[in-house]
Amino acid sequence: MTGTLLMDSSLLANAESVVARARAGDTEALGQLYRAFEVPVYNLARRICRTTEDAEDVLQETFFEVCRSIGRYREEGSLWGWIRTIASSKALMRLRRNKYRDTDELHDEAVGHRREDHHLRMDLEAALERLPEISRAVVWLHDVEGYTHEEIGDMMGKTPSFSKSQLSRAHARLRLWLGEELIP
Amino acid sequence: MTHLSMETLVSLRERGSEPGQAAAREHLNECDHCQAELQRLHQRVARLKALPTLRPGRDRWPEARARFTSERRRRRTRVVGLTGLAMAASAALAISVGNLSRPADPTPEQLSQAMQRSQVLESALNDYNPGGRVVDGRTARIAGELEDRIARVDRQLEATALQQAADRDLLKLWRERVGLLDALVDVHVTRASNAGL
Repeated sequence: MTGTLLMDSSLLANAESVVARARAGDTEALGQLYRAFEVPVYNLARRICRTTEDAEDVLQETFFEVCRSIGRYREEGSLWGWIRTIASSKALMRLRRNKYRDTDELHDEAVGHRREDHHLRMDLEAALERLPEISRAVVWLHDVEGYTHEEIGDMMGKTPSFSKSQLSRAHARLRLWLGEELIP
Repeated sequence: MTHLSMETLVSLRERGSEPGQAAAREHLNECDHCQAELQRLHQRVARLKALPTLRPGRDRWPEARARFTSERRRRRTRVVGLTGLAMAASAALAISVGNLSRPADPTPEQLSQAMQRSQVLESALNDYNPGGRVVDGRTARIAGELEDRIARVDRQLEATALQQAADRDLLKLWRERVGLLDALVDVHVTRASNAGL
């Protein structure tokens, strides 16, 4: 138990006792969990969701779920890993609920195969924001959070191949938009 | 010369090997262009990981906590209602077999009164619906502490129901519950009347 919780020690001091009290329904301990993990949860949600409002809603829904389910956390992985999976699921649910017009075709129609795309020099932040929601979610979950294509497929209710294809299409776009020079 | 597609380059970053990767790696070893593309991909992922951390503009904990405590209250009402029924049945059975002989034991009426008082307070709280109201930080903190203590008493009540504990222990727990609920109603109502709500 200590081994897995130690992974969270940089975010949460006395992780073992806080988790034990949170499991007993102590709202102060649950509040400590929130304070320890609100920033990484929000960051993940904001990178996936389109608006700050959606990301804040995901933050709230994630911690509501943490409060309800902390008794079921089995300490088989890190506490952050467990909370992150809840946050990822909530963020993906939010994408589905909002029914964004997110197919590649519609996206292309909206922002276009414009000729100037080939000469664009965006910064990475803007380029990431410009990706279709699902592609952006796959890029973030795979490349930054470290989920496998199998895990992403499971979370999205799709196949691993879907995740792979979204990732490579997203990188093709980013490459085009960023016009990257190699850093020596 | 056909260069590697982005799909192949991305797959080369994955752990393990997939069909066709040997040929792709062979091409990569001989092609400066594809080596540079793979290097760009590595650098792009490194830059993604290094993007600044975004922080929430608003504190969403009060809302998450209010939703959680409200749900816990609803669940508590249900669980304690069922526990109360089980205990009432058990007390009735005890009377029917004449098993309430010890003078120190409370009467079934005392137990029943405590349960009824608890239900009345619970119902008053539900009607007041504190979860749907705006509360100041101090009230929220005190109410939260009381809710936590009530939840602990409820867990003890559930445990004693399973262990068929002595009636005087049950009465003690029910009275403690009534006291805490009384205090919780006070906290909400006093705050409301002070604020003119």
